[in-house]
Amino acid sequence: MTKPAPAAPTTRRPSKPRPSLLLPLGLVAGVIFTLWAAWTIHFDVARIAANWDRGITIIGEVLDVDWSFFPRTVEPMIQTFQIAIIAAIVGCAVALPFAFIASRVTAFNRWSMTLDRWVLNVIRALPDLLYAMIFVAALSVGPTAGILALIFFNLGVMAKLLSETVDAVDTGPMEAAQAAGATHVQTVRSSVLPQVLPNYVSFALYIFELNIRASTVIGLTGAGGIGVLLGAQLARFNFPQIGMIIVEIFVVVLLIELASNALRRRLV
Amino acid sequence: MIRFENASVVYRGGVHALRDLTLEIADGEMLVIVGLSGAGKSTLIRVINGLVPLASGDVIVDGKSIAKASSKELREIRSRIGMIFQTFNLVKRTSVLDNVMMGRLHTTPWYRSLTGRWRADDIEIAMRSLERVDIVEKAYVRAANLSGGQQQRVGIARALAQEPSILLADEPVASLDPPTSHVVMRDLQRINRELGITTIVNLHFLDLARVYAQRIVGLRGGELVFDGPGSDADEAVFRDIYGRSLTADDVLETSPASPSL
Repeated sequence: MTKPAPAAPTTRRPSKPRPSLLLPLGLVAGVIFTLWAAWTIHFDVARIAANWDRGITIIGEVLDVDWSFFPRTVEPMIQTFQIAIIAAIVGCAVALPFAFIASRVTAFNRWSMTLDRWVLNVIRALPDLLYAMIFVAALSVGPTAGILALIFFNLGVMAKLLSETVDAVDTGPMEAAQAAGATHVQTVRSSVLPQVLPNYVSFALYIFELNIRASTVIGLTGAGGIGVLLGAQLARFNFPQIGMIIVEIFVVVLLIELASNALRRRLV
Repeated sequence: MIRFENASVVYRGGVHALRDLTLEIADGEMLVIVGLSGAGKSTLIRVINGLVPLASGDVIVDGKSIAKASSKELREIRSRIGMIFQTFNLVKRTSVLDNVMMGRLHTTPWYRSLTGRWRADDIEIAMRSLERVDIVEKAYVRAANLSGGQQQRVGIARALAQEPSILLADEPVASLDPPTSHVVMRDLQRINRELGITTIVNLHFLDLARVYAQRIVGLRGGELVFDGPGSDADEAVFRDIYGRSLTADDVLETSPASPSL
């Protein structure tokens, strides 16, 4: 007696595909590039140790915070807030049409989508600090330059984040709006915007947060806000006053982050 | 009246979804299209309102050619054709009323649709549409909070808000349980009879088709294989449409007189 033979498989089981060589090769290339870069720019950990004493002295002075300096920081800090809010509102508003035209889902047609994406790529290619330097050079120092710089920065970030959110939207409601005889703009407004609105508000809060941080840096170029004060103190080596500003920025950024996190959790 | 004149549809990749279809649908008819998935049912429906473009031939809707219509003319034709979808296609984040207002977009100026400030007359039409499918009490509820059957009734209300002369329903009950399916089919039947709206429904359940159809059209491989009154469509006819013998999967199995309604 022989056991009944198992039913012959109708198709062969596939053999396991060979692992790709791309990953190990990429890793090796990455390591080689890092070593080469460190060597050519003379990256040297030993120098940290050699200059240790000087660093400790400066850090010590910064930690010796001059609390009496606080009243002079209030007005620049408020200005930082104003710059951040105005830039976030204008930048995010302008980003709205840019984002919809850039997404394959909501674009009007191929050429306007390509043009829009190119404009956004160019806008994003320049860092916020460079925008600040350009506008300070063009308009002289002051918060207006800072606001304009951040508007461009915000436009680039928001349009990118939002258009990628639009890409992932449920397109069923769009078909419903089209079937009802809606125009393209009506279709996007009625069926896509409500779907991405919570994300949009959440991104806007995040961008406001970014602005507070960025405005301290671009202020160094003279573009208004707390950064201008920071720059002035840095130039005079007033380390205890710098300590005060750092503590204040740290606290403000932390508070805003906590607040916006709490708000965003409710939204999405 | 809707007239298909040698209409053909070819999708990218060369799939012939409709082949040389000629068909006439009279005003006020309740027509059910049956066929296996891939037979061209959805395509047939979407050709009527131009959501799917024709490769050749034409479809004439109330005297207007779909193939030759400009995008403005097409929107005008679409505004008179309501559509109901298998997956409802509601914006789940917004209220039921805002979803139904989509049916009024065709008469709403762009600045009103951008700001969402609807005219009182349009809101009245939307509310009456919701009353017709008996779900007006949910007008200010988020669409996401409704059951499947309720969502489909909102979908019907949205189509009715267009005040259409034609209603297209693409597998309107395929995502619903049997009792709810009968509620929705009965709504469609009532709308067809009371308002005289030409109603074209895709179904894959044979028993539903036989109960609710005035006329049944069978498709196979994008071609017309049956056209006749619902009462003529017996098992032999369905076997022919499906190209195989019938199974339990082809029927919904609950009777329309089920007491749970």
